[in-house]
Amino acid sequence: MNKILIVLTAAIVAAIIFFVPPIRGLGELAKIIFFHVPTAWVAVIAFFTGAWYAAKFLRTNDFTADELSARAAKLGFVFVLLSTASGAIFSKLTWGAYWNWDPRQTTIFVLILIYGAYLTLRSAVADEKVRAKVSAVYSLFSVLTVPFLVFIVPRMFFSLHPEPVLNSSGRVQMDTVVLIVLIASVIDATLLFVQLMRRS
Amino acid sequence: MKSFVCRCEQVVAIVRKDFVVSLRRRAALAAMMMFALTATAALSLSTSGVVEPKILSALLWVIIFFAAGAGVAGTFDDEAQAGTLPTLKLYADAQAVLFGKMIHVLASLISLTVFIVPTFLILFDADVADGLLMVATLLLGLIGLSAAGTLTAALTTSAVAKGGLFPILLFPVTLPIFLPAISLTEAALTGAAFDGGSLVMMMMFDAMLVTAASILYDYL
Amino acid sequence: MTAIEFRDVSLSFGRREIFRHATLNLRGGRVIGVVGANGAGKSTLLKLAGKIIAPDAGTVALPEGLTIGAVTPEMKLYGALTGAENLAFFARLRGKVLSPEKIFELGRRVGLEAQAFDVLAENFSTGMRQRLKFAVLLAVDADIWLLDEPTANLDDDGREKFFTEIRDAAPDKIILLATNDATEVGICDEVIRLPL
Repeated sequence: MNKILIVLTAAIVAAIIFFVPPIRGLGELAKIIFFHVPTAWVAVIAFFTGAWYAAKFLRTNDFTADELSARAAKLGFVFVLLSTASGAIFSKLTWGAYWNWDPRQTTIFVLILIYGAYLTLRSAVADEKVRAKVSAVYSLFSVLTVPFLVFIVPRMFFSLHPEPVLNSSGRVQMDTVVLIVLIASVIDATLLFVQLMRRS
Repeated sequence: MKSFVCRCEQVVAIVRKDFVVSLRRRAALAAMMMFALTATAALSLSTSGVVEPKILSALLWVIIFFAAGAGVAGTFDDEAQAGTLPTLKLYADAQAVLFGKMIHVLASLISLTVFIVPTFLILFDADVADGLLMVATLLLGLIGLSAAGTLTAALTTSAVAKGGLFPILLFPVTLPIFLPAISLTEAALTGAAFDGGSLVMMMMFDAMLVTAASILYDYL
Repeated sequence: MTAIEFRDVSLSFGRREIFRHATLNLRGGRVIGVVGANGAGKSTLLKLAGKIIAPDAGTVALPEGLTIGAVTPEMKLYGALTGAENLAFFARLRGKVLSPEKIFELGRRVGLEAQAFDVLAENFSTGMRQRLKFAVLLAVDADIWLLDEPTANLDDDGREKFFTEIRDAAPDKIILLATNDATEVGICDEVIRLPL
């Protein structure tokens, strides 16, 4: 599995450098988008994975679930930071500012805050049984705010962010090569996350 | 049905007990009020009291949020430190403890607001154009803050460095109240047309926070 | 007669194992003493029996509908409430309204003078606090009594009163008494020695 991942990652990096045409008017650095989208995707996946294991822990009292929940959060925190940083660079290139509280920037920033809060809470509770319980409860409590943010935030802030790959009109507005590489990189990042979760 | 009646009795008893205790031990309430007053004075002084409504409503909610943090963080921990929490938990139903505490927190936040909002409006020389909207927004905001704050206070009971931890944990989960509350407060100050959907959204989120707090508290 | 049943109960705190697959049957109608060295798990056994903490594995089964009361060192009363307010509050939680006569009677049974009830509990002496805790236990009229060294801070008069109450109540209750005190062990009908 590790070998496949290394080969896949190398192939994607090569494809991004050599095959993907430079994005018009933005230059080579704009290819950071192939890093930004997968890391953002994994950050969100990790968030829900963490909540899922938190629920599992509360149901079964199985400490393996608590460990997995914590690991998902730690990985998610790293990925969300990488994604936010790469997103800010892309934002600077395309819209001239690193940060503008765009709805998606807001949502991902809230994700940073939640991950940070969760990990701080874990470090602040010494007793392992109590720590497992309170962090699982916080994980589930915080996941409930996400659907509301998805509704509320776009009402409050004007968006510059590109439409998602699969937008509301159901059409894909992207060069085929770009799309294939992007999907491959998302799959690659997801597999990387799965592999990191399984590492004992 | 019988157990429900008993539980209501317990909730009333706990709220009344907390009320008596907080009148005799005024530290938490006083700290919350003074925090809000200090923050308001600091902001008003440093801006000479001239601030546009959008910023003004944001400032008001930031003050309420952090003042609530100062007053609410110890809801369970004060009892844990005093050693009364195990006794309370033994003799009362868990849900009664949660709702008793939640109602007490809401009552102290309402008294905070009754004190700080007029002071804030005077010091910033601001008028409220739509009083009803202002009251509704404040009330809905405080309900959500109490529900989330009470559960967060329960989570941080056995944590170290909880003074810093409490607002960190509370902010992300109250953001869906915070954002609409700020824009509705702005509308209440200016008298501009407001988004009724935001009020409904706040109500729904409040209901969800109360329900989630109730379900999750049983696991603690 | 009803009983609290421990089935295959295991519990540890970190690496400290307290119970391993413990099975116990704590029958009511008698005073059951729980003795053992410090750290053997006396208080933990009481907490498990009262469902105050849950075991890591196994089950603790309590008879349906029985209420629990306790006098333990870590369970404190409200310092900012008077003796009478403490009594009234805890009784109210269990759906009981105490008349002034009832409060006076409880005071007499545990050896607290009437004027002590108008004083904030934070101004009580250690022994008075212990007596007030016991009065709360009597006021709520719990079916299961969890007593952790209940007479540790008491004078002879207090001990005498407590022992009388415990012996009188025993036939209708499940009473667990964790102690290493010879006199307290002396009033027990049965003694469980830890570790099991």
